[in-house]
Amino acid sequence: MVEINIKQHLFEPSEITIPANTKIKLRIHNLDATPEEFESWELNREKVIMGNSTGTLFIGPLPPGIYPFFGEFNPKTAQGKVIVE
Amino acid sequence: MKVKNNFQKTEKYSLIFIYLLSIFSALPVQADGSVVSKIYHPYVQPLETEIELQTIYEKDDDLKDHQKYKLGYGQSFSDTLFGEIYLITSKDGSDNLEIEAYEAELKWQITEQGEYSADWGVLFELEKEEGDEWEASSALLVEREWGRLVSTVNLSVIYEWGDKVDDELESKLALQLRYRHSPRFEPAIEFFSGEGYQGIGPLIMGRETLGQAKKLRWELGGIFGIDGDSPDLTVKTSLEYEF
Repeated sequence: MVEINIKQHLFEPSEITIPANTKIKLRIHNLDATPEEFESWELNREKVIMGNSTGTLFIGPLPPGIYPFFGEFNPKTAQGKVIVE
Repeated sequence: MKVKNNFQKTEKYSLIFIYLLSIFSALPVQADGSVVSKIYHPYVQPLETEIELQTIYEKDDDLKDHQKYKLGYGQSFSDTLFGEIYLITSKDGSDNLEIEAYEAELKWQITEQGEYSADWGVLFELEKEEGDEWEASSALLVEREWGRLVSTVNLSVIYEWGDKVDDELESKLALQLRYRHSPRFEPAIEFFSGEGYQGIGPLIMGRETLGQAKKLRWELGGIFGIDGDSPDLTVKTSLEYEF
């Protein structure tokens, strides 16, 4: 399982590395009071996480590569990437 | 041990999926009305509101052209429930556009996307047609990713009743195979089977981001009848504004 925080409209960490061809459980803790949407067309995932709550996503199995994601409610600041290797 | 448990869980849901497909493939597939329709995906997002326009245009050498318009307003109630109401109008040939029906639907996302070998949801619909005819249906929504290919199955059971229709139980099958080429362009193939209709054809679809948490989704397709009773061509379009 991999955990990411959303704090002050930023993903922390903004880069995570996961093994190729493996399904991963991703828990996202939104520490802000406002909702955020984790979005990635490359990962084929969209998930709204309400303020002060936690959301769970399942990603993969994926081939090696870099898969960007962003927060749809704060796209200029909330950006990150999943590195699969 | 955890890996083994996950494998067993995946196998279990795969077997359920194959089992349900087998059951539905063994049932006679029948349905009245327009068999070609929107194909639903088993996902719900909280805080989502949408306005939608679907159009269906049926063309057949032996019949008047038939046009149908569905204008919808939808809103999520939670992270697993989404409701939508529709006003449905239609016209034949050069007739005037008339209100045909009102519809309400509720979509329930059952599993988290990607958690199991397939994603599951259920759609409930209630439609009241002009002339006091009613239709209630439930559909099993199943989706699975195969890399950039995504397959979606909608298996519907429909019950009709009213003054001018016989009370009857029907079923409908809709399949979609979509290739995720890019956000703005996703080609797909759809297949529909219902009473007096079987058709297959290509679609293109995409989405455009219009600002913070605002999206426009569109699709355009042509479904060709593949048996004698089916309209020769059904053109379907959809435009969804999410905000």
